[in-house]
Amino acid sequence: MDLSSLSPSENAQMQRIIERKQMQDFMKLYSGLVERCFTACVGDFTSKALTNKEETCVLNCTDKFFKHSERVGARFAEHNADMMNQAQQPR
Amino acid sequence: MGGGSSQNIEVAVAELDMITDVFNRIVSSCHSKCINPRYSEPDLNKGESVCVDRCVAKFFEVNKKVGERMQSMGGASAGAGGGGGSPFGI
Repeated sequence: MDLSSLSPSENAQMQRIIERKQMQDFMKLYSGLVERCFTACVGDFTSKALTNKEETCVLNCTDKFFKHSERVGARFAEHNADMMNQAQQPR
Repeated sequence: MGGGSSQNIEVAVAELDMITDVFNRIVSSCHSKCINPRYSEPDLNKGESVCVDRCVAKFFEVNKKVGERMQSMGGASAGAGGGGGSPFGI
């Protein structure tokens, strides 16, 4: 993202907005992940506590989600870089 | 958005929101399509990794195709949604 067109004060304001958004995104990610892993892993209500199997599943689900998200991020960045290059080259 | 933000900031925020939105949609969509919900291991296996890579590439391709289609439609009947410029090309 190109923030070079912003003045220093605008830039500072933008940083604050980005921080706030990151906080919101984090909370959304958290609740989304809880729901995703709960739905995928928990289905046995004969006991109040998580079973060992459920717990392993939840931990794997969380780990895997972050690895997935990281990988998507890498591909996403590559794609964006390609787009940038394409936009700049043909002149 | 809060009052007093300049137009530059509004443009930057809109761009940030759009990129974040697309990213989140890809994460969510490709997760449903590629990740085995049995969660027997904490790592992406080979098949899942390849699937994710292809899924992301295809999502962008679909994004582009739909954008092009909508633009050609917008040219014929400018109306619904008011799509005009080229805001589809992430």
